[in-house]
Amino acid sequence: MAGLSSSLYNLFFRKNTVMLGTVFASAFAIQMAFDSGSEKIWDGINKGRQWKDIKHRYVQAAEEE
Amino acid sequence: MPALTTTTRALARTWTAHQLPAVRACTALSSHSRSISEVSASSSFDSPFKGMGSSEKTTRIPSFAKYRNSSGDESGPRVFQYFMVGTMGALSALGAKATVQDFLVNMSASADVLAQAKVEIDLAAIPEGKNVIIKWRGKPVFIRHRTAEEIKEAEDTKWEALRDPQPDSDRVKKPDWLIMLGVCTHLGCVPIGEAGDFGGWFCPCHGSHYDISGRIRKGPAPLNLEVPEYDFPEEGKVVIG
Repeated sequence: MAGLSSSLYNLFFRKNTVMLGTVFASAFAIQMAFDSGSEKIWDGINKGRQWKDIKHRYVQAAEEE
Repeated sequence: MPALTTTTRALARTWTAHQLPAVRACTALSSHSRSISEVSASSSFDSPFKGMGSSEKTTRIPSFAKYRNSSGDESGPRVFQYFMVGTMGALSALGAKATVQDFLVNMSASADVLAQAKVEIDLAAIPEGKNVIIKWRGKPVFIRHRTAEEIKEAEDTKWEALRDPQPDSDRVKKPDWLIMLGVCTHLGCVPIGEAGDFGGWFCPCHGSHYDISGRIRKGPAPLNLEVPEYDFPEEGKVVIG
């Protein structure tokens, strides 16, 4: 545990520039995770009610005509 | 009179000499009485500074041993603290980015404006060796279906020595199709197709000659005819814009 935490410290927090880079990189990762996660939750709540869920019925019908 | 003077002097001396101890005694008395009022249970006044008088309680330092890191290794808490600081920094960076992005997205063109800014043309209707002029954003756009000879002529031209040197490969995406804005770079007239000394376009206003790749070859125009952004989404279709 001590070795892990001290190596984490040396890897990310010892130099200020490295820490700043880590912070911004993790901000980017957090944003992507947040966006895709909230999108997934939204799709789960509105399952079967969105255009992309019902599109196949109408688009196929249009092709048959 | 001398006797009276000495008496008054002695009186004054004794008065001042007694005054200070009297004051001291008075203050001592008052402080004593306050400590009595603190202690006495029957008093209706409760001092907010209870316990302040006794020196034993104020000098005693409370024990923080409960909060001390028992393992003796400080790297774990240190990493945790830096992690929390970094997480707050990341979250505030996210917030700042979202704020700025909202303002910038607000300024950009909306989807309906972007949709109107594009033109889709069916290329199958244009035979080889023919020009088509279409209107795009209020300006004419020349589309030429070039023949194999014209492509060869355009590519073999010594473009390095031209006024606006540009190879033919930079001006077309597919060599068959030359698509460019039909606005003379001199003063904005519309050149005439299949005219001029170089088999391309000729501007009647001031006599600029463009070749089959739309490059300025002769006349006052400083630049080649401008190539708009376009794309071939599928075979036989072009979308300008």
